[in-house]
Amino acid sequence: MVYWRIIRKSYRRNLQYRLSHVVNNVASSIFGLVFIAIWTGVLSGKQVYGPYDVKTMGYYIAICQSVLWMTTFLSPGLNVQIAVRSGAVSLDMIKPVHYLWYMLSQEFGRLLYNACYRSVPIGLLLGLAVGFFFPSDPFTYFWFILSLLLGTYIGMLLFYLAGISSFWTTEIRWVHLILLSLIFGLGGQMIPIDLMPGMIGKIAPYLPFSAMIYYPVMTLLELAPPYGMLVQAGWALVLTVVALLVTTMARRKLEIQGG
Amino acid sequence: MFPLYRKLIAASIRSQMQYKINFVTSAATTGMIMVLDFIILSAILYRFHDVVGWNIYEVGMLYGISSASVSLYRLFAPEINDFEKYIVQGELDQLLIRPVSPLLLLLTRNLDLSRVGGLVQGVSVLVISLSGLAAEGQSIMGLMLFSPVAILSGGVIYFSIGLATAGVAFWTHQMKDMLTFTIYAPANASNYPIGLYPSWLKWLFFSAIPIAYMNYLPMLTLLGKGSEWFYPILTPVAAASAFYFARMLWNVGVRHYHSTGS
Amino acid sequence: MIEAKHIEKSFFLNQAKEGRFASLRTLFSRERREVKAVHDISFSIDRGEFVGYIGPNGAGKSTTIKMLAGILHPSQGEIRIGGYSPQRERIQVASQIGVVFGQRTQLWWDLPVRDSFEILQAMYKIDDKAYRRSMEVYQELLDLHEFLDTPVRKLSLGQRMRADLAAALLHDPPVLFLDEPTIGLDVVAKTRIRAFLKDVNQTQKKTILLTTHDMDDIEQLCNRIIVINHGKKMMDTSLADLRRQIGLPSLIRIEFRQPPEKLYDLEGIERMELSENVLSIYFDKGKISSPRILAEVAGWGEPLDIQMKEPGIEEIIRLIYR
Repeated sequence: MVYWRIIRKSYRRNLQYRLSHVVNNVASSIFGLVFIAIWTGVLSGKQVYGPYDVKTMGYYIAICQSVLWMTTFLSPGLNVQIAVRSGAVSLDMIKPVHYLWYMLSQEFGRLLYNACYRSVPIGLLLGLAVGFFFPSDPFTYFWFILSLLLGTYIGMLLFYLAGISSFWTTEIRWVHLILLSLIFGLGGQMIPIDLMPGMIGKIAPYLPFSAMIYYPVMTLLELAPPYGMLVQAGWALVLTVVALLVTTMARRKLEIQGG
Repeated sequence: MFPLYRKLIAASIRSQMQYKINFVTSAATTGMIMVLDFIILSAILYRFHDVVGWNIYEVGMLYGISSASVSLYRLFAPEINDFEKYIVQGELDQLLIRPVSPLLLLLTRNLDLSRVGGLVQGVSVLVISLSGLAAEGQSIMGLMLFSPVAILSGGVIYFSIGLATAGVAFWTHQMKDMLTFTIYAPANASNYPIGLYPSWLKWLFFSAIPIAYMNYLPMLTLLGKGSEWFYPILTPVAAASAFYFARMLWNVGVRHYHSTGS
Repeated sequence: MIEAKHIEKSFFLNQAKEGRFASLRTLFSRERREVKAVHDISFSIDRGEFVGYIGPNGAGKSTTIKMLAGILHPSQGEIRIGGYSPQRERIQVASQIGVVFGQRTQLWWDLPVRDSFEILQAMYKIDDKAYRRSMEVYQELLDLHEFLDTPVRKLSLGQRMRADLAAALLHDPPVLFLDEPTIGLDVVAKTRIRAFLKDVNQTQKKTILLTTHDMDDIEQLCNRIIVINHGKKMMDTSLADLRRQIGLPSLIRIEFRQPPEKLYDLEGIERMELSENVLSIYFDKGKISSPRILAEVAGWGEPLDIQMKEPGIEEIIRLIYR
């Protein structure tokens, strides 16, 4: 299966940079510790809102930092823009594989690598600080993996769309930064989105960003609302259609104007 | 020396102005992204009222100083922050054949004007916080006078940390990942009272990564949190000594480069 | 002008480990291997000399130039540039030398060429009068006015090299170090750069040290050649002497429809070999030109195919070893 082979090669390629990732994991864990400390300071001696006592919030942040490496810290634009600038994209487009799935499998290999060498060590390190959470229902693990994969898939599609926008614009740096801050702001990375005040708190649960961070984390904590995975599945479907459509448009632009 | 510096700065502004539209949009985007960042912080404090006794305006003082300082550093020293390429791709060689110090050349090579957006955001947060504190009946004269000192000192402290990281990169040949550790995570941490953190982190923020002197320590005194009167004086002192040590480390790094190359 | 006495440069490479956790173990291991990039090299170059510094890739050419320019410090030995030590008096040496690295530009990428020059003027503290004089000279010699107001990133490779050369000479340094200045250029651009270098060397008496892989650079420019290999000096001689010692034969290979019946000897031809209907002529380019030979040979039969070959650096090293 060609896509599986691309995934494996891309995993191998990343294996070469292990050492710099050790430094990065420590730094990432310190981010986590800072967030945990902030929440401890915020919550201590206060009335508990919903399920969020100090302990649960610690779990939330720890799992969050770990999940980020699977769903959010993807290659900017899935590197589509680099191929567009160098012109290599026209070669990729004529390969006998669909461009969208080709780019997605390449990224997924990288994410598998992240799972082993980023998510797991960071989760363990932060677990040492806040304790480890084990769901009571063994089925939770299954739902968590499913929710996580949906989140990863949605993340990849959003990044892909940002990258392929380079067919029509000169650079995607700012599109990427805006996307990233939307994910960080509305995805639930620093603050569980049901704690957000006003309108933001009402809308955020239905946006694709919460599907990338908030729902996977809450699923593992057995706190996710029942419609959570529906939101995820819905966005996965919508974004797939959009991505396929945009890919077709990009291909047509390439055929007409030669890139 | 001064005419050279002026010419180099003018040149780097001119080369950025070639992409005029880009400058405006990039500065605006940077500012907006950082506003979003502040909204999260306000959301937390709106919901929970305070963090270990610091209310939103007090935390806003910390945040505004840190945010403006880090933007100042990124505005004037993008090439320090991006120093890895000079070592890995050997671009440093070009600077070492000039009759001027390589550090000065690096500083004048480029300005990241998009960071003006971050500076504006930081100062705005400070203004909002100051008026909030005034409305609560606090006297804000001292805070107003001290804020520029804090931002400048903070800029120097961030610059020193960046320079020291670059100095270490002469050996490690890699800097991007280390910056997460030395600049990005501490910058994030300094948005909140340093007193929150576990003691080893606190110790780190008072010594090797001395961001506590930029906002937390002087604000303890100026916001009347029952501390020593001389803490605000430590702010510029810490900045000066951080710069001194960072430069020393940097010079050792340059000597190492002379003897090994890339 | 340039003085190198027993200079050495050794690097320590960490011994790479293999197997499990190789990268981690390499990082913490103390085993290091010493590699001598430059090994006991001495030479002395007088004012106005044009020296070719040649050798195969990895022979230590760039390392030497970097030491002369003050970028690297020698592990042992002494260097003097116009009396100054690049190791201890880097700033003084910097104003004595102009450096061009063929592979990368020293100009400001996004700025018009003129702006780069103005920055350099301030950097080297060139007074306005001297600056104007330099600009006049080089505008004339290099036709800079064609692209003086164009941003560097939009220049062709040949234009960029011309701008880089002018930039290196702006502060009127007595010494020039050129690392592969003609690399990647087309024939026209190469010819132009060579003419310029020759002029600068002869009229301004600049001392020039040049590394190159292009034998034409050497033949047309250098009056002295230093050959290094594996970090050691193999040979230090004049171009004429090198030719005398190893010969620098150019080669023309001609395929005839029928083998020529008779071969005539010509002044400047060193050797001819005929196998079946292919004739190989080794000749000295200094004594006879290739068009002359071709004109002559056309009378010997009907040529089908003609190939010309210049001897490369590797060829010369091989000939020295022979």
